[in-house]
Amino acid sequence: MRTLAALWRVPSARFAMIVLLAVGFLAVLGGALAPHDPLQQYTDRVLQGPSSDHLLGTDYVGRDVLSRLMEGTRLSVIGALEAVVIGGLLGVPTGLASAWLGPRLEWVTLRVSDTLVVLPFTVFAIAVAGTLGNGLQQAMIAIGILISPIFYRVTRAATLGLRKVQYVEAAELMGATEWWTLRRHIWSKVLPNVAVAAAHATGAALLVVASLAFLGLGVTPPAPTWGGMLSSDLGYLAQQPWAPVFPAALMMATVGSLNLLADAIRDATGATAAPRRRRSTPARPREEQRDVSDTRDAVGV
Amino acid sequence: MSVAAPARPEVTAVPAPVAPATPPSVVRRTVPWLRSLASVVAITMTVLFLASVITFALGAMSDSNPAAAALGETATQEDIDRLNHEYGLDRHVVVQYLSWVGNALNGDLGRSWFTTVPVTESIAAALPVDLSIAVLALTLAILIGGGAGIGAALSNGGWFDRAVTLVCSLLATLPPFVIGMALIVLFSVKLELLPAGGYVPLSEDPVQWLRFAILPGLALSLDVAASIARQLRTSLTGELRENYAVGAEMRGFGRRRVLFGHVLRNAAGPTLAVIGLAIPLIIGGAVMTEKLFGLPGVAQLALQAAERGDVPVVLGTLLTTTVIVVAASLVINVLQTALNPVARRGGGATAGVRR
Repeated sequence: MRTLAALWRVPSARFAMIVLLAVGFLAVLGGALAPHDPLQQYTDRVLQGPSSDHLLGTDYVGRDVLSRLMEGTRLSVIGALEAVVIGGLLGVPTGLASAWLGPRLEWVTLRVSDTLVVLPFTVFAIAVAGTLGNGLQQAMIAIGILISPIFYRVTRAATLGLRKVQYVEAAELMGATEWWTLRRHIWSKVLPNVAVAAAHATGAALLVVASLAFLGLGVTPPAPTWGGMLSSDLGYLAQQPWAPVFPAALMMATVGSLNLLADAIRDATGATAAPRRRRSTPARPREEQRDVSDTRDAVGV
Repeated sequence: MSVAAPARPEVTAVPAPVAPATPPSVVRRTVPWLRSLASVVAITMTVLFLASVITFALGAMSDSNPAAAALGETATQEDIDRLNHEYGLDRHVVVQYLSWVGNALNGDLGRSWFTTVPVTESIAAALPVDLSIAVLALTLAILIGGGAGIGAALSNGGWFDRAVTLVCSLLATLPPFVIGMALIVLFSVKLELLPAGGYVPLSEDPVQWLRFAILPGLALSLDVAASIARQLRTSLTGELRENYAVGAEMRGFGRRRVLFGHVLRNAAGPTLAVIGLAIPLIIGGAVMTEKLFGLPGVAQLALQAAERGDVPVVLGTLLTTTVIVVAASLVINVLQTALNPVARRGGGATAGVRR
């Protein structure tokens, strides 16, 4: 709560939170407040510009763009959040465990995370759709699995040094259980990092959900999403070159606010810089290999 | 651990006086190098193995079968069993995996259930499209991102710097296909300079190829260019504050000379890491631009196959693109080691020759 108050005092964070609240409001109530049925086709008003009846115009089969945008917010946001929750549930515990439970588990989890990082998002999502069926759940699980390395790396990096810190050793010497130490000392250090990563990951997931909808994966066409609307605008760029502006602007505002918020959380809580992009495959593990061999030398093996 | 700490100086202190003698120093140089090579090989192999398991598991979890793919609703149970037997799908899963990987190592990814065309052939026909566009995009990204990053670092705090930062953060909030749509509107609809879709193979007519490939390449590159610019600017401004850069400037070298002659090489390492990270994004993004610009590439192949439940094709495309990403990451890794003097000293001889 105190963090929230501190965030509210930062102008950029306040702006981001207002935008995100508005988007959240649209996601919950947008469908109910929409002026038209998002699926209703006004066939006599195809591809019209903004007017008093259709504030943002109509699309290629005469559906109201504003209503589709409001209704589409729900599916886009829910999809992204679901993917991030799955990614966090997979990544955070494994990250904690890999830093806590020793090198063998660490090596295995690092390799799994390396593998997930090299799988190209879109091709993997196409493959999931082709084998397990094309649906929102499958697509979100696929994205969640692929973004879990972000959470894994961030959690692991935040936990890594803490095993040997004096107050943790002191707690252990005083007879604290591992769980208590993890909850009391480690989690409070890890949480801000996870929050920063989650904000970035939600932004990234929104973009990926939009990209998949653009490819026709995830949400099935008549239901509106931001990506799906952009995809249908593509065929009519010659007639309506400005049409993609509305969904794109909404997406930019949301993702941009998430990034601003992530930076503000990082500044407010002193979380170490979270990697914006997924980490590369061999560069870092190799250093760690060297670290391992160094400690082995130090022990005198 | 506490016992080991005093032991360490002894271990390092003993070989130090002996070091001038050649054989131990050669050993000392090559052993860490071999060890790091071995660990890179082990990591790459594990990653490839896990990727193949994940890919195969997707296929094994699928409930589509060749009879359904080829015959659709009219398939009887007999047909299903017969075709399953023909494609070896009635064997144990482990046996199937081993034969799939074994064949894949020999360049055989099976046949499409739908058209019975070998998967390798279809991929080989489609892959050059993606690869040529990905390479073009990477080149453009390095040129644009490098230029913007260097310019921003030179005008540290100036208007160009602020403009680059703003554009980079705006680009990061948009999916690449929206950038592609903006480019179509600008260059194809408004200016009518370039085609909005279509493709001519590079081998047929390079000039025509460039005409069709430049927009997809540009759309794909801007996102990556933004991350390159951001990283390059950060590491350049950091390096320019280091003692050696300040010292060179104080000896009277111009800022440009210091930047290009001294600093750029040191700042290139983290930038290469960013490029390494961007490779899966570029390969995955090539898929998006294919759809956007109607290119006959791997994505169209995979999407069509996914619609029909043509599992071998889908698995083949995923495995192939993953292997390409791994190979590209290895190249980046080698480049990084080549740039890093600490790592190069492990190789010893080359550094000596170059001096």
